[in-house]
Formats: sequence, C-alpha cells, structure tokens
Amino acid sequence: MYTHNGEDVFVIDGHVHLWDASKENIVHEGGEQFIQCFYDYHTGFTPEEEQWDMETYRKYGSERMVRDLFRDGHVDMGIFQPTYLTDFYDEGFNTTDQNAELAEVYPERFVLNGSFDPRDGDEGIEHLERLKDEYDIQGVKLYTAEWRGDSKGWRLDSEESFRFLEKCAELGIENIHPHKGPTIRPLNRDAFDVADVDDAATSFPELNFVVEHVGFPRLDDFCHIATQETNVYGGLAVAAPFAQNRPRKFAEMMGELLFWVGEDNLLFGSDYAIWEPDWLIPAVMNAELTPEERAEYGVELSPEVKRKFMGENAARLYDIDIEEKKRQFRDDEISREFGLGDDYSEASAD
Amino acid sequence: METRDSADPIDSSEAGSGPETGEPPVDREAIRQRLDRVDDPELNRSIVELQYVESIDVDGGDVTVTFVLPTAWCSPAFAWMMATGIRDEVGALPGVSSVTVRLPDHMHGDEITTGVNRGRSFESVFEDADDGIDAVRRKLDEKARFARQYGAMRALQEAGLDPAQIATLTRGDVDLEFGADVAAVSVRGGALTVTADREPLAEYLAKARETGVVTDATDRLFADRDGDPLDPTGETVEDVLHDARLATSNIEGQATICASLHESRNDVTLD
Repeated sequence: MYTHNGEDVFVIDGHVHLWDASKENIVHEGGEQFIQCFYDYHTGFTPEEEQWDMETYRKYGSERMVRDLFRDGHVDMGIFQPTYLTDFYDEGFNTTDQNAELAEVYPERFVLNGSFDPRDGDEGIEHLERLKDEYDIQGVKLYTAEWRGDSKGWRLDSEESFRFLEKCAELGIENIHPHKGPTIRPLNRDAFDVADVDDAATSFPELNFVVEHVGFPRLDDFCHIATQETNVYGGLAVAAPFAQNRPRKFAEMMGELLFWVGEDNLLFGSDYAIWEPDWLIPAVMNAELTPEERAEYGVELSPEVKRKFMGENAARLYDIDIEEKKRQFRDDEISREFGLGDDYSEASAD
Repeated sequence: METRDSADPIDSSEAGSGPETGEPPVDREAIRQRLDRVDDPELNRSIVELQYVESIDVDGGDVTVTFVLPTAWCSPAFAWMMATGIRDEVGALPGVSSVTVRLPDHMHGDEITTGVNRGRSFESVFEDADDGIDAVRRKLDEKARFARQYGAMRALQEAGLDPAQIATLTRGDVDLEFGADVAAVSVRGGALTVTADREPLAEYLAKARETGVVTDATDRLFADRDGDPLDPTGETVEDVLHDARLATSNIEGQATICASLHESRNDVTLD
C-alpha cells in the first residue's frame, strides 16, 4: 500500500501486462516492430537509472512481475489487460491464458481480463464464453486497430462489434477497455479514432467503457465524449508517466481530465512493464495544480481525488471491497512472502 | 503546399543568392529559413524548432535535406506533408535546381521519399489510405486554428476585454502593425483602443486566414471548434475558451509524447 503524507492509498493498478516478446515467439516482423516500439515508450519516459535492457524487456517473467508490482511497487492489486497479437507472436504476446498462469496463483491480487475480436465471428463468441466460464472475467481489453489478414482494424460501433457487446452484457462482462491512443507500429492510426466509442457507450448504458490512454492524440475528442456519457472512463496509462519527466504538463492534463471527464471516471494504470509503479506512483501522487490552474479549471487534484483514481474508481467498476481486501491482505501469500502484512493492519494509518 | 503561414513571412527574393552559376549559389541559412516554414502538422510547430532536420547537403544547385521523426511509425500522411513541404519550400529558393528529401528510419521512408521526390501524389503511393491528404491536412489545420485561438482570447482577456467584446470583435478591429510586440484592438465601436500582446494574435490570425475562418475585415475574429461565430453572451465565450484550451492541451500533450520519444530515439534535447 502506498502512503502519502501519512495516509494510506489503496492502489489498484488498472493496466498491467505479462508479455512474451522473446525472439522464439516472434513469427512476423510486426512482432519485432511492436516490442521495439514499446521499448521506445519505455526509455522515452523512464528515468535513466530505472531503464531495463532489451533482453529483460522482451520477457521478464512472472516472478519479477510480482516483485515489481507488490514488493517494490506499492501496488495492492493489478488488472491484467491482454494483448493477443496472435498474427505476430506464435503463442500470442500477452493473452488471457498466459496471464492466467500468474493470476490463478494469486487470485486475490489480480483481476484477469479477456478480449474479443468481432472479426472472429462465432468462434470469437465461443472464445468469449470460454473465458467467462473458465476465468469469470469481468472485463475485456480491445484493440480496434489490430491487424487480421487483410483487415487493418475494426470499429466498436459496427454491427459485428455490437453482437459481441451484447454478449458481454449478457455474460456480465461489464468493463470494456478499448485501446485508443498512441499509434503503435504497425497498427493503423485511424482505427484508433475515438468516435466509435460514443455510439457504443450510448447503446450499452449497462457497460462501462474505459478508454485507455485517454485517447491521445485525440484527447479533445475523448473529453467531448466522456463529458456527455457517464459510462465513459479514462485510463491514465501513457498519461501518467508525464508526471515523471514533464510534471507541469501532467498537472495541466489532470486539470483538463478532471474538468471534462471528472474525478469519478479516471483510472490509474502503470502499463507495466512499459513503466514501473515504484517510481511512477510517487510521481503521480506528488503532482499538484497551481492556484491559476485550480481557478481556471475549477477542480482540485487533492489527496481524496488521487485516492479515487488510484484505486477507488477501479474498485467500483470491478466490485472490489477495499476494506475487505485490506483485511485479507494482512495474511495472504504475497504479504507473507514480502513481509507486507503490517501495511494492512488496523493500526496502520487510515 | 504545406508551408507555415508565418506572420512574418520570409520573402524568397531576400533569401539565397542570385542566379549566377559557378559560386555556391544557395546558402544554408536561407535553406534553414525556408525549412522553418514547414510545420509538423499535428504538433503545429516548425520542423526546425522540433529538431527534425538532421542534415542539409548542398552540391551546386542540388540540395538534399534529411529529416528524422520521433518514431518509425509516425503517420505516413504527416510525414508526407512534411516531405512535400521541404521539397516545395527549398525548391522555391533561387538557384536551387533540384531538391532531394530523405527520411531514414521510418517504416514507410522509402515509399514517402521516392513518391515525394518524383512528384507523385499521396493517394497514388498509399492506395489504402482512408482519407485523402488534403482532408487530413484540413482537419489538422482546423484543430491548430482553434488551439491558437486560446492564446489569442487569453491575450485579449488580459488586455481587459469582457466576453461580449471578445465575441463580437472583427478582423478590422485588430491592428497587428501597431507595434513590434503589441497589437491595437478597437472596442466599443471604435470609441476606445486598447493594446494587447501581439504574438498570440498574429499566430492565431495566420492560421485563421489559412483556414478561411477570418479573411475579410468584417469577419468575426473568433469562432467555435466547428468554425461557427460565437454567441456574445458570456457563458458561451467561457465554454469556447475551455474548449480551445483543451485543443491546446491535446496538441501539447501529443507533443510531449513525441518529444520524449524523439529524445530517446534520436538523442536530441527539446525544452
């Protein structure tokens, strides 16, 4: 648990990965380009002394992940967001089944999300049903710009997509996380246009749409949608590391997001292993608005607001009882392994 | 032509040397000045300022410009706009007989530079592109115009104008020639003239002219995101100010991502 000015902050990292970009797993040049691109994001926003070498970055493994998140990274729970990319990687890059190997060891610490691709048709529906059945998933991560054969992407508001969203609603998979944001080579930029979220969110009020990476480079389009739709949320992955190397820009962006999207609709995510929570969380928690920004936006980046996007908002979407979790973590396997039990005791600051 | 419509354009007759042959006919500073007019269309800043220009090679009248982008996967459409901007700006200099544009380390570098150097169209090189290059450019220019409006409106607020005055100003009310750093703004039907910071107004007006939002003296100075005139009631002006600030934050946020990647990949330092 993170402690900020003597107060506990329960952290649910809303965006973590366990990927395999080892050379043996790459079957298409896109796979190599993809991990190289991820690595540029890593080095671009990571303090020099915290940067990983490329070999480690390709495949870091579950033991390191557990240490980086829970022992060193102040994280209490993590939400796995899969990235299939099965055309590029033999076994997939970061699939639900791969993530499950770790999530099932520590089920109390991880939320396991699935994914769907409407171009898979009936087979895709069956896949979604299997994920629900096998792992009881409550959310899906979607890449509307993923290549598949000749297709360079799909739209969330298409007829085929609506069939899958209906299936999600029927199965109780309530949290839809479309990746909308930075272009990832070799995925097409235009397929990351955020406009298709609007119609989908209006048509499925029972679902929550967490737009990952707050829509960059279309932050403005995303904000316009989020301000109108109460079931549209912003995932802060990619925006968060601004706090480390461009702290003023980060604060301004938080001013915008709090003004347009609102404090109840933002979710922190480290995007691990692109960035690591151990240095990222303090950078975000230390961010402050200037008096001018507070006046202009009419919002506060207070400890209460930070606690919301650091964990409470995700807890609401994923039916997590934070107090119950704290009791559980006094003596769960992770706390025993890393000696963290005292962090969750009653005597701890609250 | 994708050029920067600078408030203080460089006249091509001042740049470069005469048409004589034998002597080095083109000077590098003149080339840099022309390149400074080429913008990254998404970030709304000059490619010189963004340190994209890696090298300029001059061989008699033959000029080769090499530029690099923050990532290998920058939008091909944006890269194309910059490449044609370089070709056309440098090609307009007296004494330049040919311009070759190079773009190493880009996923479509060869297609883009071969196409641009041979004068082909974007649509013929990238047949599966969703939008034509002009439509993409237009969208980006409209966003840039709106983002610059934030600075211009704030300058007028700071000069003491109220929302209704800001909403109803016309192009004819603003005199950019008043001073080097200050513009004169006429309010209350000309009964009063106030001065305001010139630069944000000049930058805004350059883009507003280019996008056709403000072309005549009687045109309203400001418009909303869609280019429609503002309602003079204060509340709407306040809304538009927030929205224009958001457009600015979007461009600056994206610029931050690009700058971090550029620094990491190409070893440059931007502020």
